[in-house]
Amino acid sequence: MFGNLSWSAIPFDQPIPLITSAVLILGILGVLGLVTAKGWWPYLWREWITSVDHKRIGIMYIALGVLMLIRGFADAIMMRTQQALAIGAAHGYLPPEHYDQIFSAHGTIMIFFAAMPLVIGFMNFVTPLQLGVRDVAFPTLNSVSFWLTASGALLVNISLFVGEFARTGWLPYPPLSEATYSPGVGVDYYLWAIQISGVGTLMTGINFVTTVLKMRCPGMSYLRMPMFAWTVLAASLIIVAVFPILTACLAMLTLDRYFGFHFFTNTAGGNPMMFWNLIWAWGHPEVYILVLPAFGIFSEVFSTFSGKPLFGYRSMVAATLFICIVAMMTWLHHFFTMGSGPAVNTAFGISTSVIAVGTGVKIYNWIFTMYGGRVRLTVPMLWSLGFIFTFVIGGMTGVLLAVPPADFLVHNSMFLVAHFHNVIVGGVVFALFAGLEYWFPKAWGFRLHEGWGKAAFWFAFFGFWVTFAPLYILGLGGMTRRLQHINVEEWRPMLQLSVVGVGLIAISAVCQVTQLVVSILKRDQLRDVTGDPWDGRSLEWATPSPAPFFNYAVMPDVEGEEAYWNIKQRAMETQQMGPEPTYHPIEMPVNSSVGFFTAVFASIGGFALIWHIWWLAGLALLGAFAGFVVFAWRDVHEFEVPAEVVAQVDRARRAARDAFLARLRAAEGEPS
Amino acid sequence: MTDVEFPVSVEALRRIREDPHRLGHRGHPVREVVAGAGHGLTGPASKRIIVGYGFWIFLLSDFVMFACFFATYAVLQGQTAGGPTARDVVDPTRVAVETTALLLSSFTCGLSFAATNARNKLWTQVFLGLTGLLGLIFVLLELQEFIELAQRGATPQRSAFLTAFFSLVGCHGLHVTLGGVWLATMMAQLQVKGFRREIMHRLVCFNLFWHALDIIWVALFSVVYLMGSLT
Amino acid sequence: MTDLEFDPHRYEHALDQREDHAPGDEPEESAGHWVRNYVIGLGFAGALTIASFWAAATHLIWGPAVPVAIAVLAIAQMGVHLVFFLHITTGPDNTNNILALAFGTLVVFLILAGSIWIMNHLNGNMMPMDQMMQMQQ
Repeated sequence: MFGNLSWSAIPFDQPIPLITSAVLILGILGVLGLVTAKGWWPYLWREWITSVDHKRIGIMYIALGVLMLIRGFADAIMMRTQQALAIGAAHGYLPPEHYDQIFSAHGTIMIFFAAMPLVIGFMNFVTPLQLGVRDVAFPTLNSVSFWLTASGALLVNISLFVGEFARTGWLPYPPLSEATYSPGVGVDYYLWAIQISGVGTLMTGINFVTTVLKMRCPGMSYLRMPMFAWTVLAASLIIVAVFPILTACLAMLTLDRYFGFHFFTNTAGGNPMMFWNLIWAWGHPEVYILVLPAFGIFSEVFSTFSGKPLFGYRSMVAATLFICIVAMMTWLHHFFTMGSGPAVNTAFGISTSVIAVGTGVKIYNWIFTMYGGRVRLTVPMLWSLGFIFTFVIGGMTGVLLAVPPADFLVHNSMFLVAHFHNVIVGGVVFALFAGLEYWFPKAWGFRLHEGWGKAAFWFAFFGFWVTFAPLYILGLGGMTRRLQHINVEEWRPMLQLSVVGVGLIAISAVCQVTQLVVSILKRDQLRDVTGDPWDGRSLEWATPSPAPFFNYAVMPDVEGEEAYWNIKQRAMETQQMGPEPTYHPIEMPVNSSVGFFTAVFASIGGFALIWHIWWLAGLALLGAFAGFVVFAWRDVHEFEVPAEVVAQVDRARRAARDAFLARLRAAEGEPS
Repeated sequence: MTDVEFPVSVEALRRIREDPHRLGHRGHPVREVVAGAGHGLTGPASKRIIVGYGFWIFLLSDFVMFACFFATYAVLQGQTAGGPTARDVVDPTRVAVETTALLLSSFTCGLSFAATNARNKLWTQVFLGLTGLLGLIFVLLELQEFIELAQRGATPQRSAFLTAFFSLVGCHGLHVTLGGVWLATMMAQLQVKGFRREIMHRLVCFNLFWHALDIIWVALFSVVYLMGSLT
Repeated sequence: MTDLEFDPHRYEHALDQREDHAPGDEPEESAGHWVRNYVIGLGFAGALTIASFWAAATHLIWGPAVPVAIAVLAIAQMGVHLVFFLHITTGPDNTNNILALAFGTLVVFLILAGSIWIMNHLNGNMMPMDQMMQMQQ
């Protein structure tokens, strides 16, 4: 009746997951209780859960990502402390079966449920605003994408309390991940969580390729788009190109596990090496999906806070597209040591080294953007400068790893672990924090407190290096990755130093949370009155803060690059606003609950498939189909915003900017 | 532009008007203004184009997924583990009938789309129905093939080759089946709602989907069945 | 130029009645044009399919050339589908569609060629799985 599910699935004999789960469940129940007591459900349902507004969906993605970042960080703390303690005769506090789940969960959560949602959240929030349009190409599909991602995150977190997680690492290599050697539910939790959220991500990729290519405001040709929009296009193209590979590969492993197929088994002709080939054909482009929008964020930050246009815009576009294409030609460097021989290894070693050229072009362009500008050391700029230093070093260790003979020595050592954290943290995470500071006012109407932001940066920067520089040294000294117990006494000092670094990063995290709380308490002092707190250059800064749900009262007509900058220059020169436009009614998409319900059925179905509760899985599938048909049958897709409402919102925007220009006139005397 | 100080741009107006090192800011004129063709000069494209293009991108992603199954088949096709080989499982006659059915269904699907553009509900439904019928024949023939193979002991659990064979052919068959379910839903919607804008968009998408399935089948029967039947 | 204003009538004269198309979609064409396209497409596709089956069964083609012939005929059939059924042309109204198709083709090629090349080398260099299993027993 309940498949393989029984009371023994709950980890009564393991204190850490048991207590953690109890605390989490109590916390969630508490939050739900508070929301119910305060009567917030109608508001949440109407304004957030069923919203198809790209800004709301973007914020929800970022909230999910931040929560999962904390969970992944908790896993990291456990791993670093275990390795610092379990040296020689000591055994630490995490048994191997548990430690293996922790490093698997850490990687899975950080990549799929922290980094991806955070990056996609920024793509969602910013792209339509920068393109001067009112929403993405498929707003309801966007909502479905988010809720499917959340469903995957839910399944991974349920594994903490019911059953176990995979012990195979963040990529479940066969034969270990086959049913013969991993008979429990762990790998199945992984497979269904990733497949469900993978569908969501693929739909996001389709959504943004279509949005960037087919939906831009009048006059915005390709070469007038902001750089962030170009990187969103490139990342979305990669998503569309490679997520099907992930789907196919994990589907094959699922078929092996559930039906006894022989794709990757070590009997009857299966080939485990094919799994490595396919999964890394997805896995390498995946990191470029993460890093390209990060580069886009830096392009925006560098030009805004240097007070200059981005240097070498066309070469940046070329470099982005170059990286987009070459990213799909390098994947073998993840398994140089698997034995494909010198010819194949050399070819992929060359392609891996070549892709650094694209990134190098970008780094030089950012530096030249700062040169000759008036650099303002705001918090986003600090993260960006920290990125230049950190990422360049990480990239250089990557080029070292790209040389096959060198990789034979350090493959799967702590050197590798240090390298990829170097580029992901230095590249993606630093960009996310820069972007959070930069676009927070646009989302919420007030800036974040600068002092706490700077503290968070400095602790994160030094914390990162104190954590990971020792790991480079350990890797060169011969330490392999994923060790639950260490036999080499000489490695103790570096392992302990690394834990000190983790402490610094933890302080940074506390600073971030403090910053948020303080900023909310002081929001009136930090208010963004005009909508342009940073003297921005792209269109999103033309809207008020927070942006109205329809983004633009009248779609902008763009005449050159840096559309908003030109409008602003003109207004400053004449010291007055242009005449008031004619306001027309606007059609906006209606909300829909199809995303939420699809995710409910996906979660139930995923859980049922994991525990082999076949009747429940069938019901969930039927439910999802029924829900979809109900959605497809609706008659009303859009609602009309009356011209008076549009006019009211826009007049408020114009008044705020008029007030600013009036202050300018008063300060500078007569216009020139 | 903060509340406290004037923006840097005011000073930028006075001091740094142009970045002296600007590259490529000359821009170039567009010779032909084609709405929605992507140069962006005329604003966002119409909904019909957006929906069609988005679905085209989805189909390309589906091609990539099939490519993975094709690649796996190519890698594993020799791994018969002492069991049946490709020559042993391929039946060219049945495949010829399946191919005819699917190709004809693509044709009838196209005809239904012509009827849709002419806003003729009767002929649209007739040709959609024929498409579905031919698709059903295809799926039933494939099911028959799978059952017969299984009865001979040629199951996907027998060897890696058979795993790859059943998965590749089965994946395509599953797409055709799901397409059939979609078709039935579309016919019901069309009957009830008529040629409304969103129904038209969905018919564009279905059309694309069905033709794409036939493109995949061309690759499939060529690589798996025809090449598999050679000595 | 006013602040953030778009004049919806500005580009009408420049449009020259050309509009971008989604693939497979040319709504302003007549039904007769459509049907003709599909009939011609069916004819070509049918002929190429029959040729494919014949090439596999006949002894008239030199053995090693048969897979090549089948592959070429398959590509031709796919082309017929794309042109006659999906209306993928080379006009400026189809540029996005062609570019997307080219991108998809590149990815498919990388996966197919890359996987086959890599796995061939791996299989050649590494011990077969059944031998490795025997060693562990």
